[in-house]
Amino acid sequence: MTYPELVICEYCDSVWCRSELGDHEIARCGRCRAVLYRASRADIDQLLALTLAAAIVFVIANASPVIRIAVSGMHNEANLLQSIAALSHGSGLIVGLVAAATLFVVPLLQIVLLGWVLVFARARRRAPGFAFAMRWLHRIRPWSMTEVFLLGVLVAIVKLSGMLSVIAGPGAWATAILTVLITLIAQHDVRTLWEPLSARVAVELRE
Amino acid sequence: MSDEDVSAAAPPPLPPVSVVRRGRWSAGLIWLVPVVAALIGIGMVIHNWASEGPVIEISFITAEGLEAGKTQVKYKEVVIGLVDSIRLAGDNTHVVVRVNLSKDAAGFATADARYWVVRPRFGTSGVSGIGTLLSGAYIGADNGESHEVKKSFIGLERPPAVIHGSPGKRFTLLANDIGSLDIGSPVYYRRIQVGRLVSYELDRDGRQMHVDIFVDAPYDRFVTVSSRFWNASGVDLNLDAGGLKLNTQSLATVVAGGLAFATPPGPRDTAPAADNAQFTLFDDMQGAFAPPDGEPEYLQMRFEQSLRGLSVGAQVDFRGIVVGKVASVRLDYDVDKQAFPLIVGVVIYPQRFGRAGEKIAQLVPRGSDDDNARLAHLIEPMVARGLRAQARTGNLLTGQLYIALDFLPNATKIAFDPAARPVELPTTPGSFDRLQEQMTGIVEKIDKLPLEAIGRHLDSTIAQLDKALRQVNEATLPQFNATLAGAQGTLGSAQKAISTDAPLQQNLAQTLAEMQRAARSLRALTDYLGIHPESLLRGKPADPALRDAPEKDAKGNKP
Ligand SMILES: [Zn+2]
Repeated sequence: MTYPELVICEYCDSVWCRSELGDHEIARCGRCRAVLYRASRADIDQLLALTLAAAIVFVIANASPVIRIAVSGMHNEANLLQSIAALSHGSGLIVGLVAAATLFVVPLLQIVLLGWVLVFARARRRAPGFAFAMRWLHRIRPWSMTEVFLLGVLVAIVKLSGMLSVIAGPGAWATAILTVLITLIAQHDVRTLWEPLSARVAVELRE
Repeated sequence: MSDEDVSAAAPPPLPPVSVVRRGRWSAGLIWLVPVVAALIGIGMVIHNWASEGPVIEISFITAEGLEAGKTQVKYKEVVIGLVDSIRLAGDNTHVVVRVNLSKDAAGFATADARYWVVRPRFGTSGVSGIGTLLSGAYIGADNGESHEVKKSFIGLERPPAVIHGSPGKRFTLLANDIGSLDIGSPVYYRRIQVGRLVSYELDRDGRQMHVDIFVDAPYDRFVTVSSRFWNASGVDLNLDAGGLKLNTQSLATVVAGGLAFATPPGPRDTAPAADNAQFTLFDDMQGAFAPPDGEPEYLQMRFEQSLRGLSVGAQVDFRGIVVGKVASVRLDYDVDKQAFPLIVGVVIYPQRFGRAGEKIAQLVPRGSDDDNARLAHLIEPMVARGLRAQARTGNLLTGQLYIALDFLPNATKIAFDPAARPVELPTTPGSFDRLQEQMTGIVEKIDKLPLEAIGRHLDSTIAQLDKALRQVNEATLPQFNATLAGAQGTLGSAQKAISTDAPLQQNLAQTLAEMQRAARSLRALTDYLGIHPESLLRGKPADPALRDAPEKDAKGNKP
């Protein structure tokens, strides 16, 4: 059985009765003031804005050089895709594929699918392939590893700076921002997107 | 949740959530995030676009060492651009390198900019581009004054020796050949390097080399309008009366070649030469310091006798001054005389005649443009006055000949053909040849002497002489001996006759004593007569009576 009219606070386990929210309203726990849910419109707006920002930053992060090394007049710089391509040569192919998947494909899918779903949701419509998109959003979330990449870049900069001059390029900064944005997006409970749908449809889809 | 489901079938009404309204602006605030991100992105794009300079294309023979996206373009070791792509030209003869110049290097996309690849080079004039062994090749750039925009360049295959704006001057040298010189070869002044060879190219008609050199400031002011340049490559070995002399500019020039210049001593115009001034490049220092030869004139001579010892390059001498050299010696055949005359071609440098040349040249009007006719006109009266060429022996040991021009007072008249080309100068047999002729004459005369008859006569004479001598030996000499013996006897008796105890000697002494006595008596008589002249008439008076004894004694001793 489900009680769609009830809501439980995640933090203090108290149960509250749902009430309809107008635009720009937030439902809070009466005991611990934690945010229980937002007006779907506000929630969608926030998420879409973040997703849009993430999309822009993703482009910057992939287009501009991540790291630039120079030694005795010889220098080299590469952006994310170039480094992945360099890694994929020869025996590093598998590592390269994994890196490509976790650093490029998954974040891209995350942003694209979420953006797709949100744009339609904001217009109070159900996006084509909504269920498919939502399922895949949930599945690929653990595989987004931009923060790991960022750590790797940091380690490389620290380790290499003793031997040659290393400069973090704009791509590294963009990646850092992208990591923050993706974390923020992932923190949002996309399940609320299901709610505007009728309970029946939702149940059907869940089965 | 399950607890409640179990405990109460009809749960009590729950308190509703507390609804908080947020300000409209705070909801819209979230859109700032994508806006800021977009602004940053656009900013980056604009920055990239703004910092993007002109795109140029440079063609090279090879793209060795160049890498798209990596190879830099540098000017004075400052990066001014990056190679964007490298592709083969349509006909595959060269590569086209596309370069993104940076915004502030737009001045390098002008007409007189030059590009070349800096890579390690090992040459006789040194090693360059060692740094690129580690860093990889890069494209060097140099721009000029031009503001004319140009997008497509032909890359130099080797770095230019001088980059634009270097202080110094550029000069052009005209040379017959380049020798062992090469681009970058040093230019020396008093044996220090003051510049280098920048470029060289052949004349359009292929007759001369134009060698461009660059002399760095401040040494460029030592290049004066009267400076002489010479090729200082290799070793200059000189053997003269002063002994063996070895001349080199530096050890490096022996191997790699080099140029040197100096202003000849003496009062000269020492004004610094202008930029791009032209000079002649001489083969060696002697040539450079010799007075200029000017344009040579060609003369031809015809010798009837052998010219063994006359080589091409032998001197042509006029009263001790070398005025030219032998250019060719060829054999000819005279059909009429059935002889093999030798045709000697010589070059004469009129300027070597000094003032004489100038003065004579003034005598002949410059009107005719035909050099040959002018020369013929000039030489004709001289030939009439006895100007002849002679092959003389310069060195008795080696038999080397040289051509001497001289006026021979007793020269036989020769018809001079002013229309001959080249002008032909009449010749006369050389001094050595004349000597030879005289010797031959003497020998001939000796040959004509009747030596056999003389010998025969001499022989009979000697036989007669022999006979005569024998006669002397056999007949004359014994008689001679006897004669000598006789003579000896005569001499012995003569000796006896005159010895002290000989009767002749005794008689002689007695006679002399008698004569002495007679002479004394005579004196006594004369003395008496002096005192008593009357006694001649009267006779001697009677002696007076004796008065004293001494007087008597004196008188008595005297008679
Ligand atoms: Zn609570």
